[in-house]
Amino acid sequence: MAVFMQSLISGILIGGVYALIGIGLTLIFGVMRVINFAHGDILMVGMYLTYLAFTVLGIDPFVSVLITFPLMFLFGGFLQRVFINRVLKAVAQNQILLTIGLGLIMSNTVMLIFTSDYKLITTSYSSSTLKVGGGVSVSTPLLISFLITTAITAVLYWFLLKTDTGQAIRATAQDRDAAQLMGINVKRMSIIAFGLGSALAGTAGALISPTYYIFPQVGAVFTLKAFVITVLGGMGSVVGAMLGGILIGVTESLSAVYISSGWKDVVVFVLFLLVLLFKPSGLMGKSRT
Amino acid sequence: MRKHLLALGAILALSPCVMAQKIGVINSMSGPEAPIGENITNGIKLAEEDLKKKGFSLQLVWEDDTGKPQISMSAMEKLATRDNVVGVVGPYTSACSNAVARLAEKYRVPLLIPAAAKEEITRQGFKNVFRMNAPADKYASSLIDAATSLGKPKSIAFIYENTDFGTSTSNTAKDYVAKKGMQVVADVAYPKGSADYRSTLAQIKSKNPDLVFMVSYVADAILLMRQSREVGLQPQAFLGAGAGFTTAEFANERAVSENVISCTQWTEDVNWPGAKEFGKRYKARFGKEPSYHAACAYASMVIMAETARASGGDRAKTRDGLKAGKWNGVMGEVQFADYDGFNNQNNHQMLVEQIISGNYETILPSRFATKKAIYPFPRWK
Repeated sequence: MAVFMQSLISGILIGGVYALIGIGLTLIFGVMRVINFAHGDILMVGMYLTYLAFTVLGIDPFVSVLITFPLMFLFGGFLQRVFINRVLKAVAQNQILLTIGLGLIMSNTVMLIFTSDYKLITTSYSSSTLKVGGGVSVSTPLLISFLITTAITAVLYWFLLKTDTGQAIRATAQDRDAAQLMGINVKRMSIIAFGLGSALAGTAGALISPTYYIFPQVGAVFTLKAFVITVLGGMGSVVGAMLGGILIGVTESLSAVYISSGWKDVVVFVLFLLVLLFKPSGLMGKSRT
Repeated sequence: MRKHLLALGAILALSPCVMAQKIGVINSMSGPEAPIGENITNGIKLAEEDLKKKGFSLQLVWEDDTGKPQISMSAMEKLATRDNVVGVVGPYTSACSNAVARLAEKYRVPLLIPAAAKEEITRQGFKNVFRMNAPADKYASSLIDAATSLGKPKSIAFIYENTDFGTSTSNTAKDYVAKKGMQVVADVAYPKGSADYRSTLAQIKSKNPDLVFMVSYVADAILLMRQSREVGLQPQAFLGAGAGFTTAEFANERAVSENVISCTQWTEDVNWPGAKEFGKRYKARFGKEPSYHAACAYASMVIMAETARASGGDRAKTRDGLKAGKWNGVMGEVQFADYDGFNNQNNHQMLVEQIISGNYETILPSRFATKKAIYPFPRWK
């Protein structure tokens, strides 16, 4: 039982971070219908920002979210304005090529600067735990990152539902042309959406860096995860991405214990296929006609 | 002028000692293995300087295999047929060495592999392939022997990355513990680069093993130990087989690396002739701590160059010279012997180390020990 609880709890905590990555991707897709293949690489940039802040300025990784978030927002906005905007009306293949290319440029630039060595951030709490009882313990950094994730998601949800800009973003996501006719500056909404998506990915990078390791190709792992999460939850659905993230985290964790850690990815993908088979639009997706 | 040249040529042809010995080097100087390849490069550079000081006219032909077997093979073809080298030192990785060994045999070029772990390389009956370092089975047996000599472990759990390196090392370990009558209570291969090993470790904890045997590279080694501490995995000893557990980065993670037992081919403070001095000079010259790869490469190059000179640059004689010779240097006593199905394999003495107060201290074999072993593993704080 302790093993079950332990894996369930770590699964949920890791899933929280996965959710954050998924929400960023789903937001970008929802507003622009662009599949961002550079998402993992944006996360990697966030990790290196955190690493720099920690090693050069001595800022704690969790505090550095305050710097990473706005910087990554600007970075995402810049990408959208300079590159993505030009292909919004292009065929999907071209959009995919562009984002893959951007991702390659990011990972290779980082490799030139930092080399391909693995980097680790070691904080005073990197290996500390909270004993929950019953032989179950919770990793402190993972718990903190889960709490920050929850807070960010709540704020984001409020922003999208209650503020004017948030509503404009949602309107753009629902119908770009209609939104434009209603006087919404859809170009600006796109920039904000891509900026937010990048900021969320960067934040996720910052949040995992105390417990994970950093290297230029780390993005590929997370791009794939982000896709599974968003498609599983329903493309464009924020709640779906949250559910998807936690579901993937828990599935990985439990299958590592009860099946085999070598097979955990297989279990995740089988689950993914099953969901798509019975609910092709994803868990929370509305089927579009 | 022409006459002079002819005379010079005649002298050179008659006195092979004066002629430059061409020796090939294949190494992973770029690509993912480059950080370790750098150690090998530096070790060979130091050897080259030392040999030149001793009056050797040595000419090294460097080839970079970028860690890929196919590039390693074309490098070997070039060295054997176009550069006409007497012998080759290298390559680094097991995969490259295994591929190149076949070619060395085909072209009858003596090949001295400094630091590749896969056992099969010297188990194929090749006459021209020699290996300096101890192969993977020694990692497993020396670690488990260490644990059994320190305590009375009855059960063992394995956790290793699902690569050639991880599975082959743990497979030999599993065979070895079966002979010792130890019970394997968990056997987990994990995919490299997972963020979360907690659930796996919690499962291992529930089996309560006396020993935990891990095979990983540096980043995973640190993550595994961090998360072992998180879930409170508490065996009598953590055994880390090579790679990630013997690096300075790992030792620096004081909170989790303390008291972990690992093994290595070489350390600076072992009393093999010139070992200490080699470490000092390496640090002064390159500003970094040498890894065992550097010492292996240094010793390999010295032995290859000396043998090549003694045999006048003849490949067959060099091969016989390597087979017959005995050396004693930074790697201790070296002799390429046939035993346990190995050919031309240096039966190298592995050193078992433990991280004590943040430093790697040799604990076994006792004649090389610098500190007394701490056993069993103290309770996590």
